[in-house]
Amino acid sequence: MEWLQETYLTYQSTLGYIGLNALLALSVYTTLSCGQLALSSAGFAAIGAYAASILTLNFGQSFPVALLAATALPMLVAVPLGLPVLRIRGVFLAIATIAFGEVVRLGLVNWDYVNGAQGLVAIPQKTSVWMIYLAVALALLLLARLRGSKWGFALEAIREDEAAARTMGIHTTVYKLAMLVLGAALAGLAGALEAHYSFMVAPNGFGFVRVVDMLVFAVVGGTVAYYGPVVGAAFLTVLPEVLRELAPLVGIEPGPLRFLVNGVVLLSVILFLPNGIVSLPARLRERRRARSVTA
Amino acid sequence: MRFAGRMSLAVIVALAFAAPASAKQTVKIGAALSMTGPAAAYGANQKVGIQAAVEEINKSGALKDVVLEAVIEDDASTKEQGIAVFQRFINKDRVAAIIGPTLSNTAYATNPLAQQAKVPVVAVSNTAPKGITDIGDYIWRVSLTEGQVIPGALKTLQGKLGFKKAGVLYGNDDAFTQAGYTVMKSALADLKIEVVAEQTFAKPDRDYNAQLTSLLALKPDILVVSALIENASGIVAQARQLGWTGPIFGGNGFNNPVLIKNAGPAAEGVYVGTAWNRSSTDEANTKFLASMKARGVDPDQFATQAYVGVLVVAEAIKQAGNKGGRDDIKAGFAKVMSLSTPLGKFSFLPNRDGDHTPAVQVVKDGKFQILQ
Repeated sequence: MEWLQETYLTYQSTLGYIGLNALLALSVYTTLSCGQLALSSAGFAAIGAYAASILTLNFGQSFPVALLAATALPMLVAVPLGLPVLRIRGVFLAIATIAFGEVVRLGLVNWDYVNGAQGLVAIPQKTSVWMIYLAVALALLLLARLRGSKWGFALEAIREDEAAARTMGIHTTVYKLAMLVLGAALAGLAGALEAHYSFMVAPNGFGFVRVVDMLVFAVVGGTVAYYGPVVGAAFLTVLPEVLRELAPLVGIEPGPLRFLVNGVVLLSVILFLPNGIVSLPARLRERRRARSVTA
Repeated sequence: MRFAGRMSLAVIVALAFAAPASAKQTVKIGAALSMTGPAAAYGANQKVGIQAAVEEINKSGALKDVVLEAVIEDDASTKEQGIAVFQRFINKDRVAAIIGPTLSNTAYATNPLAQQAKVPVVAVSNTAPKGITDIGDYIWRVSLTEGQVIPGALKTLQGKLGFKKAGVLYGNDDAFTQAGYTVMKSALADLKIEVVAEQTFAKPDRDYNAQLTSLLALKPDILVVSALIENASGIVAQARQLGWTGPIFGGNGFNNPVLIKNAGPAAEGVYVGTAWNRSSTDEANTKFLASMKARGVDPDQFATQAYVGVLVVAEAIKQAGNKGGRDDIKAGFAKVMSLSTPLGKFSFLPNRDGDHTPAVQVVKDGKFQILQ
């Protein structure tokens, strides 16, 4: 029992970050599910994190109010952003949305009210791990309900062939915009939860590197299933901690080598499981069948 | 007879095993250092300083039965892993004190956890003027803040060089350089030095010609720059290429031998405020330099401050009567007075920030030398 408590206390932050990263990965997945590579999630997370922190720190608002605002504000920003940028496709959409994230980051860097690059500190810790997982569960429930519904089929059609979907009478803009807005809400909520979990927010925590991380979570987990991004986020958040555990056993000193191993594991997943970790059971089944046929 | 012989042998063996086991007490010190990510260069030096100090203290027997053990972990320069490392130190390794983390921004996220768990923390490289030791009474700091180094250094320098107009250049997208700029600005105002213009750059920038040209056109007497080392060398070299021969004053980011290595002769005439007087002939410093040389390491300020961090923890244990509990160490910190360290005589201020005399360095003949 005591051992269990010690383990929980040691890894509670990792547990929390798995959930936070899962939310962020899902926010990238929402637009990926209709074939759009939008990388605006870091910008939305920053808006959510700052909105919530300003409300609790400077205006003494309660945490639920702050979370609500942090979810709503990115949604409001996503509409005027999405209408023009969702007209462009592929890598150009990615570039435009990265630019949006950078605009948000640089805006915060130059905003004295929020201490510029130094960010907001001494934010009260109000997030509990269960709140994070409740948010993840609700997001997953919503995405699971979409599957097989009219909405879900429309999204799949847009992903496979946008022009064909349009000729079939699917209003592609509405669907794409709705998914961008949903992603913005998830990112904003994750940002607000993280700010009140880790005591501080700074603009550099929401740069380009962060959104690439989110994309990697989604891709490594697998974007063929709605729960793939959660699996990817869990795997990649736990991996550095597992390696931290293993390092002394095999005599690796803490430092760059740990990250090298991290990179190798990541690369092998991408090389051998191009559809992500969630495709592993299917791959194994396939292989077993192939073996039994030859035998 | 035979039986008695066996008995006495057994007793001797039992005593031999029992005696040392009862005496020694191991005190674990956790060090959360950035050994990967953007701050990796600092973390590597800090690790060397900490290991050297722990070895020397254990060898010297100054703590009698207490043996120090350093547990070093990498925080990857991120707050996410910094938090994970702190929770590990607090709950799993059950360390008596924590040294670090390397970056101030990580400290804002990790130190509240140590404060909650009542584990003393010694910051050895956090230089943000506000909000570190304010976290609580378990948070102590060895590294001088920019606010403790820069104003004094600028004053000394003005006395020597007598400048009246300054051009200011700073990185505005980084917490450290922005904080340094704030300190520089108020220090220049206090000294009644006119600021002809302020220019900014961002961390990924490599070309500073536009900013420097516009600053130099206003004919300042000195360039005051707040930059990280990765930008500092380029700024210095490009200023010299544009024909600037006057003095350049830099913040703590300039305080790195890499500046001289990268900028070469252009670095001559660069002035840097420093917490560590490398050429001090104080015995503690010469001993430290010799021990570093024996390890084949060229120490910088980060290695030195990390080394002193361990010395301060050891002194706190001694002051607490050679007891290494978390609260013993915290109580011991308050009694650290005028401790001889490579940084000079070290004490804590009432707000738990460190206190010792800073110095001004100038690059001369390809070396950092102390401005006399």
